[in-house]
Amino acid sequence: MEKAPNPNKPSKLALRFFRWFCHPDYLEDIEGDLLERFDKRAKERKSANLQFTLDVIKLFRPGIMKSILGRRRVDQYGMLKAMFTIAWRSAIRQKQFTVLNISGLMIGIATSLMIGLYVYDEVTYDAFHEKGDRIYRVNQPSIWADWDKMSSSTGPNVATALRTDAPEFEQVTRILSLGDQTLTIGSEKQSNAFKETKMYAVEENFTEVFSFKFLNGNPKTVFSNPYSMAITLKSAQRYFGEDIQSDEVMGKTVNLKDYDGSWKVYTINGVMEDVPKKSHLQFDVLVSLKSQSEMMKMHEWKWIWTAFSTYGLVKEGTDMAFLEEKLQAIPPKWAPPTTTRIFNQTFEEFTAGHLWKLELQPLGEIYISGAPSNHSFGPTGNPFYVKIFGAIGLLVLMLSAINFMNLSTARSTNRAKEVGIRKVLGSQRGSLLFQFILESVMFVIVSAILALVLVHMSLDAFNFIADKQITLLPHFSNPYFYGILFSFIILLGMLAGSYPAFYLSAFRPIESLKGKVSGGFKGKALRNGLVVFQFSISIALIICTFFVQKQLAYVTSLDVGFSKDNILQIHNVEQFGFDTEALKTRLSSNPNFTEVSKSFGIPPYVWSGDRYKSSIPESEVVQLSNFRIDEDYLDLLGVAFVSGRNFDPLRSQDKYACVLNESAVRALGWNMDDMQATTPQYVTIASGGEQQFEVLGVVEDFNFNTVKDAIAPLILINHENDNVWDYGAGLSYLSMRLNPETVKNPADLHLVIENLEEELTTIDATVPFEYSFMDQEFENTFRTEQRMGTVLNVFTFMAIFIACIGLFGLAAFSAEQRIKELGIRKVMGAKVSQIILLFSSEFTRLIIVAIIIACPVAWLLVDHWLADFANSTPIDGWVFVLAAFVTFAIAWITIGYQSFRAAIRNPVESLKNE
Amino acid sequence: MGKHQLGEFEEVVMLTVAILTTEAYGFSIIEEMEKRMKRSVSIGALQTVLRRLEDKGYLISEMGEATKVRGGKRKRFFTVTDAGKKVLQATKEQRLSLWNAIPDFSFNNQ
Repeated sequence: MEKAPNPNKPSKLALRFFRWFCHPDYLEDIEGDLLERFDKRAKERKSANLQFTLDVIKLFRPGIMKSILGRRRVDQYGMLKAMFTIAWRSAIRQKQFTVLNISGLMIGIATSLMIGLYVYDEVTYDAFHEKGDRIYRVNQPSIWADWDKMSSSTGPNVATALRTDAPEFEQVTRILSLGDQTLTIGSEKQSNAFKETKMYAVEENFTEVFSFKFLNGNPKTVFSNPYSMAITLKSAQRYFGEDIQSDEVMGKTVNLKDYDGSWKVYTINGVMEDVPKKSHLQFDVLVSLKSQSEMMKMHEWKWIWTAFSTYGLVKEGTDMAFLEEKLQAIPPKWAPPTTTRIFNQTFEEFTAGHLWKLELQPLGEIYISGAPSNHSFGPTGNPFYVKIFGAIGLLVLMLSAINFMNLSTARSTNRAKEVGIRKVLGSQRGSLLFQFILESVMFVIVSAILALVLVHMSLDAFNFIADKQITLLPHFSNPYFYGILFSFIILLGMLAGSYPAFYLSAFRPIESLKGKVSGGFKGKALRNGLVVFQFSISIALIICTFFVQKQLAYVTSLDVGFSKDNILQIHNVEQFGFDTEALKTRLSSNPNFTEVSKSFGIPPYVWSGDRYKSSIPESEVVQLSNFRIDEDYLDLLGVAFVSGRNFDPLRSQDKYACVLNESAVRALGWNMDDMQATTPQYVTIASGGEQQFEVLGVVEDFNFNTVKDAIAPLILINHENDNVWDYGAGLSYLSMRLNPETVKNPADLHLVIENLEEELTTIDATVPFEYSFMDQEFENTFRTEQRMGTVLNVFTFMAIFIACIGLFGLAAFSAEQRIKELGIRKVMGAKVSQIILLFSSEFTRLIIVAIIIACPVAWLLVDHWLADFANSTPIDGWVFVLAAFVTFAIAWITIGYQSFRAAIRNPVESLKNE
Repeated sequence: MGKHQLGEFEEVVMLTVAILTTEAYGFSIIEEMEKRMKRSVSIGALQTVLRRLEDKGYLISEMGEATKVRGGKRKRFFTVTDAGKKVLQATKEQRLSLWNAIPDFSFNNQ
């Protein structure tokens, strides 16, 4: 640092600092005072140097400092005022540019703000839990299917093992998904039955981990006893009427049909606020897990009953990496009794070399990661879409900033004289810079205000498209929002304004006053570069949009291997009891239906599966999906047989036989020739039981799940097979193919459904009537993609619009620049068409370059997106051509007006004044 | 008057300038104030107030001749203007009228 301070000399550093900041008018006398005081203190042997520095620091105040804006402090206000006036006047004088600039910026800001709100909404799920930052979900590999994929459900005693072996957890709690349940109020035979799909059994400490709000009831004890229940206010109103108060619901009882068909009475001990929309865990009814004690007793030791979700609350300050490491020792320690008892396999044999790992997923990431994809208790996000939209938001913002820069520099000739005059009159470069940046910040402020209004007005429409509940107004009470908005405006203003500011302020006064600045075109290369950049982005977006729409059209029209139209499905058939033959016969006699069939599950939602192997000795165990159907189902779908035959109700042994799809034949290690053999082939269950199925026949592969995935190997089991326990989720359905002769129009269909409901209600009024159409269900599996497709369309439109505004502005500018050139050409005999062509060709070249840049980028993006689908539309060249063509069309229309105007102008007008 | 109120520090500075008559410059004002008022004054605070009073027209300043002391820097001498004298007078009268309005017993009762 400094040398030993000389007691007779004041600190040099402090003095230099003082000379730097002090107003020059005051510098001399104050410095004199400082020195005089220092001398006196030095004589008195006080700590003169320290005091001197302190004095200097105390002088560092507005009244003494130099003005930041220049020498003459008194002129500061007047200067600012003049700057505002000039900005306002130049904005008014060039109305077209002002409107283009502001609308471009407004749309850019509005789009990115909207996307910002969307992304913010997506990444802030589950933020309302008080201990949310310490809650983790335990994930493990999907042991029933692909071990390489993670699953969010575990066996029940992962939790018990964690409680014993991992004291780092303050709480571990399990949630058991109960599937679809029927609930009745009052007497069980009353007709007011409710179907509950979002109903879970939870443990006593559920409320210790999660912070769902209770309106009534004690959260600490509500799940302590068997057969106690907590419901949301919305459910309460559903059961007891809109006007019910939450405290009136307390103590009421409801009946729940148990898995064995018996009715159990539950008491409502708690009423909860409706679950916030931004929760990954969505429920209507919670019951105490203790109610399921019989089932728990039977299975509690099992590691393979993967119907539970396990959540842990770790203690504060836990080393998560260490904890996760430690958890890996748990499955090998606790799972072996299960594998030996059920599969007669050692742990190593069961896992077959796979790692049975336990993974801790932070609560805040569950929604947005969208993974593991199965068994989530509500909506899941898609990180890919969030990234894509975030990128689009940034790009659109950049596009509009570029527009601003482009238009501002382009119109520089108009301001060149102003700059020249101001420089001649002694304006310094700094204050000119400040002037232009101030102008740009003002533009951004005006645009941002308009953008806020625009976003507020279009939010409802956006929410509708994106199925969101995004709000803008609540953010206004958040100080951070203002901070972000303010810094955003300043940043964008500086960014968009800096280039024009440096560019304009660099004009040489003599040249610009002589009118030599047709060199306003000096930055031409840069401006062209920016146009190319803008259009590259727009074209890439157009191509992506086309492919999204193409893919959606492709998958919805995809041949699923059977005819999925005109199939009406009745749900909740399991509640009519196991034997529904009478019901089926009754429906078969209905002339509106050509086929009637029963199945346990309906495409595209066949999700159950098990481990099987073929009768070939030493054959490998494979995972097959299973689907329990009656003998008519394959005929109803119209699935074709490759070999063999269907189930035959007249042959009693068919009850224990099966039908495979082609993929299953291959997966089990056969080829199709083996199936032609006269000796029967068998499939055996490989997860404990020894049941054998004779293979009756093989059907062509058909999509029993969403066409997003490839067709998995499938075993079709007879619905009457009482040796095996694969009933899907225990739900059964009756499917009917509608007779096109009698059901011709929507009115007929409506009548058919009404009659059907009446008929079923007479049989058992407690069974809720629910139906669906298979083709609609297939379409529904693409709802997210469709929604995102629409959102993408909107954003793409915005981007193109902004790019067009920029192009329009530049064309207008160029027309003005070349007014004399075009006039002379006309005088020399050029035709209007030639001039239009000449004028457009300049921009056409730019767009061609943009296309060349955009195509590979778009190709990469589309390829990445389509890789997620098993069935994807080919990346055809004609789409690129079409996109290019569309871009040309848009661009030509945009510049057409300007070029036409330039071409028809009377050359006398443009040439007369020089 | 009313429009121009003097702050306490401003008043003290003006009075000190008046006391020092022709010898009132930055350092001497500080010395005088520290001597009479027994309080420490920073150059920054004083200079700010001096500028302010000059802006208001109560003080007027003039640069002196360069001397060999204080690094050869000239001094800026301040004198009280007529407007300054008026405002000082007005301040004094305000104070006095307040003092006169105090009934005797309120102090006696203390």
